[in-house]
Amino acid sequence: MKNWIIILTLLILFSCKKDELGPQCISCPKGSITSQNADVLIINEGNFGWGNGSLSLYKPSLKAVTNQIYSSANSNTPLGDVVQSAYQYNSKIYVVANNSSKIEVLDQNNFKSLGSITGLNSPRFLLPINATKAYVSDLYANAIQVVNLISNTITTSIPTNGWTEQMILHKDTVYVGDMTNNNLLIINPNSNNLVDSVKVGIQPNSIVKDKNDKLWILCSGGINISNPQLIRFNPQNRTIEATYTFPNIGDSPGNLKINGNKDELYFINNNVYKMDITASSLPSTPFITNNNNTFYGLGINPFDNEIYVADAIDYVQSGIVFRYNASGVLQHQFNVGIIPGNFLFIN
Amino acid sequence: MKTVRITKLLMFMLLWQGVSYSQNSIDTIDFKAIEIVADRLPDAYKISQLDSTSIKQATNLSDLLNSSSTVFIKSYGSGSLASVSFRGTGASHTSVLWNGIAINSPMNGQVDFSLFPTAFIDGVELNYGASGLINGNGALGGSVNLQNNSQFNKGLQVGLTQSIGSFNNYTSSANIGFSNTKWTTTTKLYFKTNQNNFKYTNTALIDRPIVEQFSADLKQYGLQQEVFRKLKNGTLGLRVWYFNSDRNLPGNMLNYNKEESLKVSENQKDESYRAMLEWKGFANRIDYKLSSTVLADELIYENTISNIHSKSKTLTIDNKVSTKAYLNNNFTILNNLSIRFEQAESSGFNTIHSRFNNYWLFGITKRLMRLEATVFNRLTTVGDDFNGFSPSVGARYQLFKKEQLSIKANAAINYNYPTFNDLYWSVGGNEDLLPEKSEMLETGLSYTKKFKSTLISSELTSFYSHVYDWIIWMPNSTNIWSPSNLKQVENKGLEYSLTVKTKLNKIKISFNGNYSYTISTNLKAQNNNDKSVSKQLIYVPYHQLNYTLNLQVKNYLLSYNYNYTGLRYTSTDNNWYLPANFISNIALQKSINASNKTKLTVGLKVNNLLNQEYQAISWRAMPGRNYLFTFSYQFR
Repeated sequence: MKNWIIILTLLILFSCKKDELGPQCISCPKGSITSQNADVLIINEGNFGWGNGSLSLYKPSLKAVTNQIYSSANSNTPLGDVVQSAYQYNSKIYVVANNSSKIEVLDQNNFKSLGSITGLNSPRFLLPINATKAYVSDLYANAIQVVNLISNTITTSIPTNGWTEQMILHKDTVYVGDMTNNNLLIINPNSNNLVDSVKVGIQPNSIVKDKNDKLWILCSGGINISNPQLIRFNPQNRTIEATYTFPNIGDSPGNLKINGNKDELYFINNNVYKMDITASSLPSTPFITNNNNTFYGLGINPFDNEIYVADAIDYVQSGIVFRYNASGVLQHQFNVGIIPGNFLFIN
Repeated sequence: MKTVRITKLLMFMLLWQGVSYSQNSIDTIDFKAIEIVADRLPDAYKISQLDSTSIKQATNLSDLLNSSSTVFIKSYGSGSLASVSFRGTGASHTSVLWNGIAINSPMNGQVDFSLFPTAFIDGVELNYGASGLINGNGALGGSVNLQNNSQFNKGLQVGLTQSIGSFNNYTSSANIGFSNTKWTTTTKLYFKTNQNNFKYTNTALIDRPIVEQFSADLKQYGLQQEVFRKLKNGTLGLRVWYFNSDRNLPGNMLNYNKEESLKVSENQKDESYRAMLEWKGFANRIDYKLSSTVLADELIYENTISNIHSKSKTLTIDNKVSTKAYLNNNFTILNNLSIRFEQAESSGFNTIHSRFNNYWLFGITKRLMRLEATVFNRLTTVGDDFNGFSPSVGARYQLFKKEQLSIKANAAINYNYPTFNDLYWSVGGNEDLLPEKSEMLETGLSYTKKFKSTLISSELTSFYSHVYDWIIWMPNSTNIWSPSNLKQVENKGLEYSLTVKTKLNKIKISFNGNYSYTISTNLKAQNNNDKSVSKQLIYVPYHQLNYTLNLQVKNYLLSYNYNYTGLRYTSTDNNWYLPANFISNIALQKSINASNKTKLTVGLKVNNLLNQEYQAISWRAMPGRNYLFTFSYQFR
């Protein structure tokens, strides 16, 4: 009997309290979490429902990356998932966490949380309109939420029908990709009224503006619904000026980006392609080939036109970022968080 | 960016697609073996029978396996989805049988163990590794057999149990049985509600507030009816089982929201109808069992945030004949034929899908002195696919004439066929998928010794398996989430179990401990930068240990259960892990014999005795110390 008691006591002692709670990182390089001009913020989506979205900070001049900067700056708390996008505005960084239904508001210098905008449904992208007002597109809300950037609250919403994606502000007008109805929505940000909508291709997933004030809209074509299209849209007369159709219906291009001078387009279609805004047709050869990697996220550094491409590998491990110079030569590759999907170039 | 292509519904389905793992258990005090001889597996395989005391003390199958085996339970929280895996394999590699008939969903190949209250189960048998082959395809890790036991000539038996626990947990169950020499009937009723609003420290929020779990409430009820008639050489009867569950699904700790309107967003309703006609007996040196089973399940998933209302219905009709012919005392021939029809209808499919999933198993067992050897082969047809080679060979040898010390070894090849979700989910389903294939090896040593009032029983097993064409869901080249046979996995490890039953003065002591060590590694790289190769699979703990100690003095029974789950990686490059957790539960129960026919039992159970904060799955809240008071009345 005595032996039993001893064994039992020993086993109970095994169970003394630990400090570790929740997911722990074995190797998350610790480094500077102070941002400077020209740093690159990598937005790692994380897995749906796993709470493992994160931010990585990369300093190109030092070739140094620090992962988990949000957690490090905020008492080891997780950022959320699926971390969709981030914006720098008013000395703050706004981070949109889709499945966590919130936008974290961070100090742009040290990434400390200044608050969060909650009560959102399934937010995708944020577009600041002015110092006090921003729009938030949403996957399921059937509305664009209007938020107050001072109080970090939702003030009103603009009804839409379905999934709204990327947004752009041009000459006091907001243009929104409507993924459900394949439209470009045109909104007056003063009245918050939908003023017009223009049919584009199937699933307009990304929008950029070039130096001639033309909008470029990349439509993925859905899942084998139609051939993908790249559309040049003139906001002045609200007409489509040019449509470039991809030859293969199975293609699924996305991540349309533009360089610092706003005269060269980049996008991912398995490989990275580059296209001059004056080109008469889609590029036929890749600018950067994927070499068996799965290119998932793309960013063009507006300061030096360097190209950042993210690979999520198996989507359950630290992703990898490839940094190429403006001519497409690999400069550096480094590991970041889980599912790197977006880049923010800090200025 | 593209992650949005995964609809929430698909993600919900993918939760099931989950991850892995392993092992074991015993028989203790008053367990009465259930004689279904035609079903019994040869001794060359590792089989363990859970004891009835543990079954009674657990509330559902998920708790039971967690406390008394090292089979790995991946639970999203109290009352939430719980999947089970053996030896580093996946949840869809575990066959769950109801009296020998697989009840896995044809849609995802899995079973939610939180939907099986122990009140409906008389016995649980675990078949490890190669032994699962005999139960049909799919069991690459093992199988869990839920048994019902019909007894004759017991007269009237009535049992009523009421439990009241923390967080507004109320469970009522009743069983009424009557049997004479020819007939037996048993009716079991079950009703449970649980608010599940436990408090926990929300470490996902910066100020770490103590918050109340929301949207985790559930309601379950069910009925099981059995009627059996004794025949000249056997029994014939019918079992009917209805179960209904309605629960809200809590978000993770990060989604904790102060806004009332967003609190309840996901709801899942499950409804199951199961009916089984069974005729078994023994005649002309042949043990036989014939059964016809209908399983109909419905699952409704609703998400108010993403405005999803999805409904899935599955229907399985299973006809099975098992025979075991004894040519003489040392030679038996086993023949099992199963004709099984599976059908599924879902918002996730474009049309209704159905297929036949049939097999014929033929085997012989030969005994030579102290050696028993077994050879099997199974022929399988699933849809248009025919497979003629799923063999298993095994042997057991008793080392000494007078000592119950045996060595065992077996090897097998088994297949798991793609589920309807894998094949037809719209969009993403892949009709070109191959079945997953596993090659398994197992060796073991078992020892049982009885002296005076003490019984010691112990088993050490080592296992190895190589799974080819393991199916995983990942975005494909056009960024659509789709399954493919991309993974190759190697599992190996050790399992040890020890049971001791003894008597010290007036104290009856029983101890049952289980330990497992599992190495489960990924062998295949996606590309040159893939760091998951040779790493442990996620949610497969290397170490698992649990033991239960029962002390019985007169009418008092004190049970202590300790459960250790080692660290589990949560990323495939093994850069992230969840720390090990240690959970203790204690229960004290007193029986009062009110008369020689009636017995009252009162019990108090303290779960998570040391109030450990832990996460079984990343950022899913688990309850701290909680109490369960049980009162039961039995008449016989």
